[in-house]
Amino acid sequence: MSARLARLARDQNTILAAVIVAGVIVLTISSSGGFLSPISIETFFQFLAIPIVIGLAQMAALAVNQMNLAVGAIGGFAACSAAVLIADFGVPPWLGGIIAILIGLAAGVLNGLIVVLTQINGFIVTLATMTILSGAQYAIVGTRTITSANWPEIAAIGTARPLGIPLIFWIAVGIAILLSVAYRQTLFARNMLASGGNPLAATLSGISNNRSLVTAHGLSGLLCGVAAFLVLASLPGANKSIGEDWLLSSFAAPIIGGVSLTGGTVAVLGTVLAATIVRLVDSARAQFQLEPSWVNFVIGAVVLGTVALDRVRTRRPATRQRSRRPPPDAPPTAAARAIDPGAPA
Amino acid sequence: MTSRSNRLTSVLSDNRVGLLLLIIVLVVLIGSLKPMFFSPAFVIGPMLTSIAIFTVVGLAQMVVLSVGQMNLAVGGMAAIGAMGSAIVFQAFDVPLIVGIAVGLVVGGAVGALCGVLIAYAGVNSFVVTLAMSFALLGLVPAVYSWVSTGNAITVQTPGLAELGRSKLSDLCIGDTCGPDGVPLILFVAVAAMIVIGLLFSKARIGREILLTGSSDRAALLSAIPVPRRIITVHTLSGMLAALAGFMLGASTGSFTPGIGQEFMLQSFLGPILGGTLLAGGYVSVIGTFLGITITVVIRQGLLLFGVGIEGLNILLGTILLIALSADRIRSVAGARSRLRASRQQSPAKSKEEAVVS
Repeated sequence: MSARLARLARDQNTILAAVIVAGVIVLTISSSGGFLSPISIETFFQFLAIPIVIGLAQMAALAVNQMNLAVGAIGGFAACSAAVLIADFGVPPWLGGIIAILIGLAAGVLNGLIVVLTQINGFIVTLATMTILSGAQYAIVGTRTITSANWPEIAAIGTARPLGIPLIFWIAVGIAILLSVAYRQTLFARNMLASGGNPLAATLSGISNNRSLVTAHGLSGLLCGVAAFLVLASLPGANKSIGEDWLLSSFAAPIIGGVSLTGGTVAVLGTVLAATIVRLVDSARAQFQLEPSWVNFVIGAVVLGTVALDRVRTRRPATRQRSRRPPPDAPPTAAARAIDPGAPA
Repeated sequence: MTSRSNRLTSVLSDNRVGLLLLIIVLVVLIGSLKPMFFSPAFVIGPMLTSIAIFTVVGLAQMVVLSVGQMNLAVGGMAAIGAMGSAIVFQAFDVPLIVGIAVGLVVGGAVGALCGVLIAYAGVNSFVVTLAMSFALLGLVPAVYSWVSTGNAITVQTPGLAELGRSKLSDLCIGDTCGPDGVPLILFVAVAAMIVIGLLFSKARIGREILLTGSSDRAALLSAIPVPRRIITVHTLSGMLAALAGFMLGASTGSFTPGIGQEFMLQSFLGPILGGTLLAGGYVSVIGTFLGITITVVIRQGLLLFGVGIEGLNILLGTILLIALSADRIRSVAGARSRLRASRQQSPAKSKEEAVVS
């Protein structure tokens, strides 16, 4: 069984990798080689780092069958708070960078605590904290843009190019590898997966589901804080619009990458590959000079299609089994599942 | 004696009464500090227009909450419905009513698609409607920029401006004119409230939806077509969202991709403040209206005091969290009193649970 699952996961990643290769070939031919020029490759990876990290942030929440709608608001709030602290209060830039990451962690833990204490669906809780944090972001930064000239030490990270590829991309890859190892090896991550997969079984095995929820939201927030740090490092400045457009890409990467929406699984490599595909679509958009909204439509439609197909695919074996020996008065599972949102809240 | 005191406590503990009192206190408080608040043309009129639009948005969310699901694409459905109306107005010059009907059909179709995916593919309602909202987020601006220059459609259809922007004072029978400051569009919302209220309280289909919401298993065993009812509520939600989008377009006169952007938070605030349970099985149309009214009054009041939009967001998010904690407390208390009621063996009590107002 686990061998089959592993093969399935490998299949998904193989498909994603094939799509990436095909996309790169198409873009290279249509730009008559311009897409592979050093400057173009540099830009490609420069703007891939943040989508990877926020995709992983969403993945951490999905793993415990939760959602984090506040990824953009946490990231934007953390980046803007650090920027204001550095520019207006004379906080040393390196300390500001650390503060950005810690703010993300604190906001995530807070989300988790609210979810656990009120037993409300995580989606609604993060909808509320998203509204609050984006309001707070605007309140502290207003209409101005704080330029990265205020934090030259961090901005230097954004311009570093070891091996011709931006350092921030290497940072994102490093985080992905760390997470991948953590989800395989560490106890706290295995506990989260157990709680996400089957809360009752987790409880019976002595795992605290509440702790898993707080940890997962905390991890999600921490990664949003890291994304905020990367914003400080790579963008020309911080303003109120940071984080506004993170939501779609944060969901697109894990969902296309093969993370189950019912919790209990993660797909770090899949998320990274899917984020790369989204970035390719964006590059293609720029190359063919289309409306930016078409990118959102394509990604949204792919996400919708993935969600529908994924469920049909995973349900088929179960349905077949049931049709062989139907229990006398069991309700149709599709209907029963449709009514129960399936959230552990 | 007991039934009388029971009725008194149930009136006092009804959160709609509390909301109404709170609205009155707020209006008196804000009005006495800022007399400008009672200006019919500048404050009352726009405020009632907002209340009308957001009430319909709240109803769009409420019908889905009635089966314990959610619609995260209310904004997107509002945008695409309004877009459908605007395109037929522009391209075919159709009368007002046809345009509205096209918008409702477009919104309803998108809602039905969500419903089918949820009921038959068995995917979680959050995920389907979230993915749908992403698809619409891209589709709507793309179509706008394709069919029109400048990303907006200005509609000149006769009757639209009257419906969207005229007040009762513009309607005169003989010499008596209606009060200034009551916009005509408010009656569209009232009509929607009456239709939805009757649907849930009088129609068989509404009772079936509520039973589906309180226990899908019981509903299935009572021969209620549960998957079809799930599709029904999502279709209805799409139509109501489209109506709200149309109302917003009519009130400003121009249809843009920005329609529906602010709808999501409001759509949850109204029903939740009004007592609709997130778990399903209970709805309150009047409560949704009062919940929307209180948020709009607070918003308008704070704007008069010069609080910026960022302060409003912080406050609205906090209100949502508090309302949800209250919802939680209420459902725990409700479960306890239901337990007590079932111990007293009063079968009439359990029927009241699904009662609509």
